[in-house]
Amino acid sequence: MEHLLFSKPRDLFIDIVNPKDYVQIDSVSHMYQSLKTSVQKPLKMILLYGRPGTGKSMLLHKLHHDLSKDQKVFMIDIPIIDENDFLRVLAHKIYSYASRESLTLTRFLELSAAVNFSIIPIVLLDEAQLYSADVMEKIRLISDARALKFVITLHKTDNEDIIAKEHFQTRIWESIELQNASYEELKIYIQKKLLKSNCFDVANMVNDKNIKLITKLTKGNYREANKLMFALFSLYAWYEEHHPSKIKYNTLNTKWIEMAAIHTGLIRA
Amino acid sequence: MLDISKLERRWLKYKIKRSVPYIFLITTGIIFSVTIMWLYSDNHQPKKSVTASKTLPITIKAAVLPGDTHSENTMLLEPSMQFMQSIEIPAEVIPSSTSLKKSIATSPRPAVPSPPVSTVQTPKVPIPLSKSTQPIIKGKLTSIKRDDATFDIHELEERFKNNSNPNLGLYIARYHYDHANYSEAYNYALKTNALNTTLDESWLIFAKSLVKLGKTDQAKKTLQLYISNSNSESAKNFLDTLNKESSK
Ligand SMILES: Nc1ncnc2c1ncn2[C@@H]1O[C@H](COP(=O)(O)OP(=O)(O)O)[C@@H](O)[C@H]1O
Ligand SMILES: [Mg+2]
Repeated sequence: MEHLLFSKPRDLFIDIVNPKDYVQIDSVSHMYQSLKTSVQKPLKMILLYGRPGTGKSMLLHKLHHDLSKDQKVFMIDIPIIDENDFLRVLAHKIYSYASRESLTLTRFLELSAAVNFSIIPIVLLDEAQLYSADVMEKIRLISDARALKFVITLHKTDNEDIIAKEHFQTRIWESIELQNASYEELKIYIQKKLLKSNCFDVANMVNDKNIKLITKLTKGNYREANKLMFALFSLYAWYEEHHPSKIKYNTLNTKWIEMAAIHTGLIRA
Repeated sequence: MLDISKLERRWLKYKIKRSVPYIFLITTGIIFSVTIMWLYSDNHQPKKSVTASKTLPITIKAAVLPGDTHSENTMLLEPSMQFMQSIEIPAEVIPSSTSLKKSIATSPRPAVPSPPVSTVQTPKVPIPLSKSTQPIIKGKLTSIKRDDATFDIHELEERFKNNSNPNLGLYIARYHYDHANYSEAYNYALKTNALNTTLDESWLIFAKSLVKLGKTDQAKKTLQLYISNSNSESAKNFLDTLNKESSK
């Protein structure tokens, strides 16, 4: 099935985060630049928040990718849930200190004092809403001691104002909110993704009306858009194999976009 | 994997479900107006119909394209010199085969003026937090300009220079046409036609750009030439439109 015209664009929209696939979108690039300058400042904690699917993990991975050329950066993309493990894992990663037992905070700070980095190492924590208040407090103390800098991402949900959470109240130094894409941004996202991988013929099929519908269905959420496009091109690949005559190459088929939306649950039917 | 037939059924259900309110509205509308009309006619008041449309003499000014008065017998289908210099595609590049057979090109797209460029968006910076002992540094990201032009067309043009992919050429031509850069649209459509002679849309963009550039005669000649080779319906339609317009 791999020779199909539509299998390549389909696979472009698999929902994974790889900094190599980063697409420059104006507003996101602004945020990214500001994030990059912020981490160079003597700040201790930077918060990146927004709804699921707005590109937080992508920005964090991109930051990791770009910064690791010049300084110590550590990515913890899967939260360490066991509280006693948190400091041990950090110490192992950053100070190469192997220990079988869990560490106390004092011990951890001693370790960090013993190692002299010219630039304070940066720790990137994805999905920080999964950490307990206890761990967050440790993070706060570590950054207060200027042992490490933290960039954390948090999901913003409707019923919970994360900014109001106590452990963030005093310690946020800079926070950046990511939002869903506008119509223009989604258009650029989809087109750039296709063009980047030389899917020119498919890029020619995507017109403004299609993008309008896709924006309406996904509300501009990147993850939803990925899922929708993946389903859509799966449909196309299926038709390409079974009923190629049904494919029109001058526009994306509205009906198929809606079918893909039904498949991914964006439309309830 | 995908169960297409099940999806088709669900889609149909969805469409029907969605159209129910409309059908309902329309039927009530019809019933309502029929009732009104019935009551009205029952009144036996032969009022002159008020709705009798006042037909205003509407004159539509046909957009007469300038520059067609003197006959041009030579077909001058060459890109501008500047363009040729900038593009120089290596001679040995073989037009990449296109897997696509475009059947019917899209109906003529109106020239879309580029959208207003300064949509300013202000990301929310959380409210200053009470107990903080240190100053809160607010992100300098308070104003973000969104500009469609940052879509890097130049990078695509660079790539076209290197890979001569007709689909990319068509993409660029379309982009320029949509942004009212008709001479660039013309250049790229021409280049694309040379790489793949069967892309309807590219020929149409080429002809439409000519029209926009005030060279309707050349546009017609190009279309005739293309139609004689391809029997393209969309090209025929566009040629008809042009002929009608000029006969007005
Ligand atoms: N700027 C971008 N460039 C490329 N892909 C992006 C970009 N922003 C988001 N995505 C894609 O959108 C999806 C959702 O983004 P993600 O970072 O996982 O969101 P979040 O972490 O906020 O839930 C991912 O598949 C990611 O690859
Ligand atoms: Mg994430």
